[in-house]
Amino acid sequence: MKKLTKGLLAAATLLAGSALAQDEVVSYPSLGIEPGQSGGTLRLAVASAPPTFFYYGDLSNDIKLFSQQIFDTLVEFDLENYELVAGLATSWDISEDGLVYTLHLRQGVTWHDGEPFTADDVVFTLNEIVANPETRAGDAAVFVQTVDGESVPVEVVALDDHTVQITLGAPSAAFLTQLRAFFIMPKHALLDFSQEGGADASAINDAWPTTGAPSDVIGTGPYRLTGYVAGQMVELQRSDSYWKVDEAGTRLPYIDTLQYLVITGTEAQTAQFLAGNLDQLNISGGQFPDFKSREVAGEPFSVIVSEALFGSPPHLAFNMSAADPDLQAVFSDAAFRRAMEYAVNRDRIIDDVYNGLATWPGTPTAPVNGAFYEDTTEIMHGFDLDAAAAALDELGLTDTDGDGIRNISADRELEFTLTYGNDSATWTDIATILQNDFEQIGVRVNLQGIQSANLLGQGMSGDFEAIIVAIGNQPDPELRKPIWQPGGSLYYWHGATQPDDPADPPNFDAFFDFEHRLYEIFELGSTLADQEQRAELYREWQRINAEQALVIMIAKPANIAATYNNVHNFVYSLGVIPGYNPVPFYYLAD
Amino acid sequence: MIPTLFLVSVLCFTVITIQPGSFLNRYLEDPRVSPQTVARITSEMGLDRTPVEQYLYWIWGIVSRGDFGHSFSGMRPVSTVIGELIGWTVLVAGLTMLFAWLVAVPLGIITALKRNGFTDFIASFFGYIGLAVPDFLIALLLVAAVLNAGGTQVGGLFSPEFIGRPWSWARFVDLLGHLWIPIIAIGTNSVATIMRQMRANLLDVLNADYVRTARSKGLPERRVINRHAVRTAINPLVSLAGLSLPELINGTIIASIVLNLPTIGPLLYESLLNKDQYVSMALLLFSSILLMAGNLLADLALAWVDPRIRYA
Repeated sequence: MKKLTKGLLAAATLLAGSALAQDEVVSYPSLGIEPGQSGGTLRLAVASAPPTFFYYGDLSNDIKLFSQQIFDTLVEFDLENYELVAGLATSWDISEDGLVYTLHLRQGVTWHDGEPFTADDVVFTLNEIVANPETRAGDAAVFVQTVDGESVPVEVVALDDHTVQITLGAPSAAFLTQLRAFFIMPKHALLDFSQEGGADASAINDAWPTTGAPSDVIGTGPYRLTGYVAGQMVELQRSDSYWKVDEAGTRLPYIDTLQYLVITGTEAQTAQFLAGNLDQLNISGGQFPDFKSREVAGEPFSVIVSEALFGSPPHLAFNMSAADPDLQAVFSDAAFRRAMEYAVNRDRIIDDVYNGLATWPGTPTAPVNGAFYEDTTEIMHGFDLDAAAAALDELGLTDTDGDGIRNISADRELEFTLTYGNDSATWTDIATILQNDFEQIGVRVNLQGIQSANLLGQGMSGDFEAIIVAIGNQPDPELRKPIWQPGGSLYYWHGATQPDDPADPPNFDAFFDFEHRLYEIFELGSTLADQEQRAELYREWQRINAEQALVIMIAKPANIAATYNNVHNFVYSLGVIPGYNPVPFYYLAD
Repeated sequence: MIPTLFLVSVLCFTVITIQPGSFLNRYLEDPRVSPQTVARITSEMGLDRTPVEQYLYWIWGIVSRGDFGHSFSGMRPVSTVIGELIGWTVLVAGLTMLFAWLVAVPLGIITALKRNGFTDFIASFFGYIGLAVPDFLIALLLVAAVLNAGGTQVGGLFSPEFIGRPWSWARFVDLLGHLWIPIIAIGTNSVATIMRQMRANLLDVLNADYVRTARSKGLPERRVINRHAVRTAINPLVSLAGLSLPELINGTIIASIVLNLPTIGPLLYESLLNKDQYVSMALLLFSSILLMAGNLLADLALAWVDPRIRYA
């Protein structure tokens, strides 16, 4: 048994007038976080009104923004290095065989209504909500494993009031990382909506409607829900019993009130920010020059650029299962994909589209991901149209009829459709740059614009020839296995590898040689307990991706935020990553 | 009316069904959304039925129990989702129409009376600009102007400190401070239309025999214009007003989005984008009902203002 608690100091403090609370002293001096002062109201934007206050009842990203503040997870991300640190679990033991996780829960934590938080709440949340396949935004797949072809449920039991034991059927390397995504819910408030409480399996989705009293919604997090104005605002007030304290002993969070204003659309959000009605706004590279010039002109806000781990880098994918047999054959050839990579002008895209606020991507792990990133920039081809043309010549894809477009065969031009999201200036610009450069090497591209929200759906339907999609970055590659493991449900660029029934094993016959190795890497990576060995495997995976140009990764955009100068301790947050929450550290001062 | 509505509903449904993509597409990237989840939610929403079944199920819900279906993204009945926004929608649209009429009708009269004069020229010039510039652009320009002037009331209906607070004089003033932008931005568009219509109608009437008769029997000019000319010239505008009723829903979508108004326009836009099909269908149907109701109301109003129609 080995202790995995790390990083933070745990301290038990006897509070006047309250029970023994096991407080956590947290500090991140390296991120510039300093002890702050309490009080004030912070206004943030949320893009759409929440359909429910029950986190597991809605798949949209918007609900995560404020659920993050109301609820806690068992383990959290270290804000600096994304390692897992104590949350509602102060420490955990993992058995040698990697099957039994024993979590020691924080003592003295109370729900916002004063009830004590216990192991029963954790068991209830995981068993009755997350593992329930009828829960709309649950994650039942994590709680069922396939062992020797049989489905084995993960067992979660309470050993005592403050100890939870989770038993897996097979080792799962990223299980703890997955746990940090599950907000723990109060059993006493939700029992009536659960099967344990006698309700239907799907009744849980009806919990906490927006028409109910905000005070019904209770968590253990830094803020409690205190108000909702339909379609206009969600209001949270500081909880006085949150378990994090700063190094000076001040209880977090610092800010008294959080107001999430429902503001749809970039223009409206920008206007409200410039008017001072929002204190902080995440912006894109395209908006950067406007905001930066205002900052330089003396507006009282700063534009902050930070490296990104989360957030999806765009890639160019060729459909190796394209309906057109000629294109399918060409696209399936790694030499063709590598040749086309020469014609992808990453530097220009980074400069022109992202205003320089992006870097060369990983393949696909984010460069800032210290644990798993493999630098494959040496393997990736830089922009070189002559080399691209030469490589295509070598493949026999030459212009045989003299019309300036290369030919696959005598009566078939090297011409394909590139699908992109036309409701985003970013995708449109990238698509145009690619089209233009490909034209220069005699490859004709016809652009097909669709809604960005439908891009992945279009990809998964297999009805495309080439496409620009942005997916795939998480701290642990295991979490994105369905995307990157051949035959996975989101491995859309080679649909032939996917089984007809998603429950079946992949269609190995359709695999290319290198895909067998990729498959194996993900199988091993799921179960190996040794993190070093896993990291080595995933580094190999990134090298193979680069060598094969499985998809052509384009760029990794940076995180950019604009923040008024009275907001201190600001650390960028996408706001939608459970377990990564710097907001309790923010404080207001002139 | 019923057959027309039926046809409209079939048309709406067909158009929305052949639109590519699915409501769930935007969630596919979410690690929690496995193929099984997609299948389960699809069947939960009834999207695994054939389109004809979906349509019949929907229309039966309306006919049998007034149920317009469920909003996928709102996770509530469509009627509730629309109901939450209808109040502000009617207020903004009503004030906008009021503004447009109060400005346009007098301008129309003046420009007709001073035909080809300087006033006519100026009013027509600005009228045409208002007609030519899209409402959302006017909205953005006004927002930019307010920001440059150091103002903070740009978008939404209230400043953050007044959202959800009890009514007070300060809150009312704050509301007015926000309302003028949408009223001008959206209203300006109709000003030109109504003004030109009024002007043309009045010009027709001014040369009519009975106006000459009224003048010749010695009535003061003011009375001739108000009681005889304008009274008749305004009739076609009543029809115009009836036809503008659907604009409550779909007339102001983009402007409402850039101004972040809690109204129905953005809801329709979002539902079409997200393929939240029952919301879009209900709104399109609602919009055609309003058009028909508007026509009917216009006919009734016309009969009321115009004895010739009443007795015809």
